[in-house]
Amino acid sequence: MKKRANFLFIEKNDDVYTVSMTPELQDDIGTVGFVEFTVGDVLNADDAILNLEASKTVFEMASPVAGKVVERNEAAISEPGLLNSAKTEENWVVKLTEVDEDAFNQLEDA
Amino acid sequence: MDQEARLDYLIDYLLNENPNADKQMILDKTDTLEEKTALFRGLCNIRQPEPVPKKFLEVQDAFLTQWNNERNITSLHDLQPVQQQLYLWQGDITTLAVDAIVNAANSELLGCTQANHDCIDNSIHTRAGVELRLACNELIKAQDRKEPMGKAKITEAYNLPSSFCIHTVGPFIDERGVSPLKEHLLASSYYSCLALADKYQLDTIAFCCISTGEFNFPNQRAAEIAVQTVEKYIRNTQTNLHIIFNVFKDEDLQIYQSLLAGKE
Repeated sequence: MKKRANFLFIEKNDDVYTVSMTPELQDDIGTVGFVEFTVGDVLNADDAILNLEASKTVFEMASPVAGKVVERNEAAISEPGLLNSAKTEENWVVKLTEVDEDAFNQLEDA
Repeated sequence: MDQEARLDYLIDYLLNENPNADKQMILDKTDTLEEKTALFRGLCNIRQPEPVPKKFLEVQDAFLTQWNNERNITSLHDLQPVQQQLYLWQGDITTLAVDAIVNAANSELLGCTQANHDCIDNSIHTRAGVELRLACNELIKAQDRKEPMGKAKITEAYNLPSSFCIHTVGPFIDERGVSPLKEHLLASSYYSCLALADKYQLDTIAFCCISTGEFNFPNQRAAEIAVQTVEKYIRNTQTNLHIIFNVFKDEDLQIYQSLLAGKE
């Protein structure tokens, strides 16, 4: 199941929720040139997950849901342009667990 | 020292400090006080955030205090609310004597670096003094990356009549126009500034029209977002802040008048 919030996609597979870029966000921010993940693993909704500098925007990405970060797309640190990719396997940002399913279900369908 | 002697000293210091100034700006002739003020302003605008000697600051602060206070200064008690705790005022934000004025900054957060550019960021930094760029530089160095859009940072306001300056970077609108993200970021700029003002327990905050002007946000839509976001913040937080919408252009005055009048 795939949802949309905070200009991001959130896709649920079993207990893992993958946060990834939407085409609209990619269009809005331009070519990503710098990526820095925040350090904390436990997130509330709207906590910063990533800071990026792109050709058109300096942007702090806010987590669409509360949860625990289990993986970050660290390849994007050395290759920020991955976040401009059309493929989810390249443009994902973080993977979360311990996400409240009700909160997830209330988000807008993607 | 009178104002002219102060300017002569400051210009001399700034030219000595920056031998390449003539490559970064046009060094016009400086016969009159007005021309000297313009040259001083331009040299400060292009100046890197390097430390300055105490003597420079003393002379600069004396000059700016007099230059800033030659104008009509406006305080909260000069204004009538248009709604409870909301005010609308047309004029130059650098003449306001309130707790905090909001600066429409860019992501470098160092103030406008284009000599004598006619923007609010330039005007605020010029009249605050070189201390403001130094303070912003400290914040941005501590953060170690550019300032994101929709956030807010606070500094002292130095030689301005206000006490603090809250710096926010609004969204930039390009040829593709306004998008939901840009609207969200503009609202976020207003919200972040209000939250910071409350965190510092301020009594009054004056907003400029964030993202309009140089950043091309359409004036009507920007004003709608400004008013909606402020009203939402008041509802959500029960804040006691006095909030001034500062407009400069007649167009913005009319837009805010009709937005705020319809809700008595």
